[in-house]
Amino acid sequence: MIEIINVNKSFDGKPVLKDISARFESGKTNLIIGQSGSGKTVLLKSIIALHRIDSGKILYDGRNVPDMKRKELTRLREEMGMLFQGSALFDSMTVAENVMFPIEVFSAMSREEAAERVRFCLKRVELTHAAGLHPSEISGGMQKRAAIARAIALNPKYLFCDEPNSGLDPKTSLVIDQLIKEITQEFNITTIINTHDMNSVMEIGDNIVFIYKGEKHWQGNKSEIFTSDNKELNDFVFASDLYKMVRQAHNG
Amino acid sequence: MIRKLLQQVGEYAILMRKTFGKPDSWRLFFRQYSKELEKQGIDSLGITVIISVFIGAVITIQMVLNTENPLLPTYATGLATRDTLLLEFSSSILCLILAGKVGSNIASEIGTMRITEQIDALDIMGVNSANYLILPKIIAFVSIIPILVIFSMFFGIVGGYAVAYFTDVISVPDYVYGIQYSFVPFYITYSIIKSLVFAFVISSVSSYYGYFAYGGALEVGKASTNAVVRSSVLILLLNVVLTKLLLS
Repeated sequence: MIEIINVNKSFDGKPVLKDISARFESGKTNLIIGQSGSGKTVLLKSIIALHRIDSGKILYDGRNVPDMKRKELTRLREEMGMLFQGSALFDSMTVAENVMFPIEVFSAMSREEAAERVRFCLKRVELTHAAGLHPSEISGGMQKRAAIARAIALNPKYLFCDEPNSGLDPKTSLVIDQLIKEITQEFNITTIINTHDMNSVMEIGDNIVFIYKGEKHWQGNKSEIFTSDNKELNDFVFASDLYKMVRQAHNG
Repeated sequence: MIRKLLQQVGEYAILMRKTFGKPDSWRLFFRQYSKELEKQGIDSLGITVIISVFIGAVITIQMVLNTENPLLPTYATGLATRDTLLLEFSSSILCLILAGKVGSNIASEIGTMRITEQIDALDIMGVNSANYLILPKIIAFVSIIPILVIFSMFFGIVGGYAVAYFTDVISVPDYVYGIQYSFVPFYITYSIIKSLVFAFVISSVSSYYGYFAYGGALEVGKASTNAVVRSSVLILLLNVVLTKLLLS
């Protein structure tokens, strides 16, 4: 479980995150949603310690990130997996080598065990056939799946996804969403997904945190979102006619 | 402007501190190192040989034209060609040329990794990205540069020999006598010392500009240009300092 308490962050004196507190449970898909520029990427980068926060606490199962020394942070990062918006696969390596990379760096596995782990991860994301291909030779959806395989290579306790459906068609997006949800439940991972894709919100939103202008405006699940009276949330989630109709149908 | 310069010097120093540490995995380090040796060294051999042969030939022809004086001995052409190649061309000028090839390659590669979040991915995994990406590049280029310099010296002299052999501007015996006359072995050491410093400058400065490239393709292009320009200026400055220190 990850818990953030009264997190504040500013850039050049301009506050970007204002007193945000939230809990992200393990085994659930936790979503951070909000408009572009609302501060959700800064929040995610603060949680994964790519940004140093001004004040507050970020607790990974009770371990506070701002208090950690460099070595402790490195050890914590070995427990993290990250799926980036653009996949961030290493261009010079094949798909299998990408998945092998964190294993080679951090694990004491033998070559056979490491190769077996890579095969397992690629099989889990149904990408065994693309093991020998380079990222430039596979589609965007396959790149995302390869990135998920790399993210789970070391059995992470925490999985972070930044806009996992960016640039994908709705069908492929659904496959990626389901894959993330399955993996989260299967390995009891604490997953935090940064998104503004409403399909993802409706499909896998076990716990949703809505950020508006750097503040947490609402928290709930995908069912509660239909009955929320938060104006900013409703303006954001039900912006399109399609989702207005979905809400009407849901609320009868 | 001074503030920006000081900030860049500070960032460069911090980056170098991050770079020069024990690698997370020696196996990965040596794999990267051998790839870099091939990319920066073996792939630069062709251009080094071609440029050196032609510059050696041109220097020889120009020396003949500029030393047409009965008071000067005929071997002066070979001697001047050799010393020009050994003292200046095969270290400084070659490194200026390689700043364009190797420097832009390093800056654009690391810059692209930065803007496509590959460096963030390394950091999130807990890998020291500077150490993993930059250290093999610096070590590889610094370790291959003496070989490139020696190749350049040899082929520069071969270029001059070709002029003597295929044309009648100078006789082969005069040229061969000249390149052997009053030879100072320290000139080779001097040239290699200079090239080692220049190789460090090219690889580390280019890595710095790539590592701190933010934005999109335009910024990667700018980083690549800055890497070449700043490396070249530093090479020229350090050339003066090293010459004063080593030859005075």
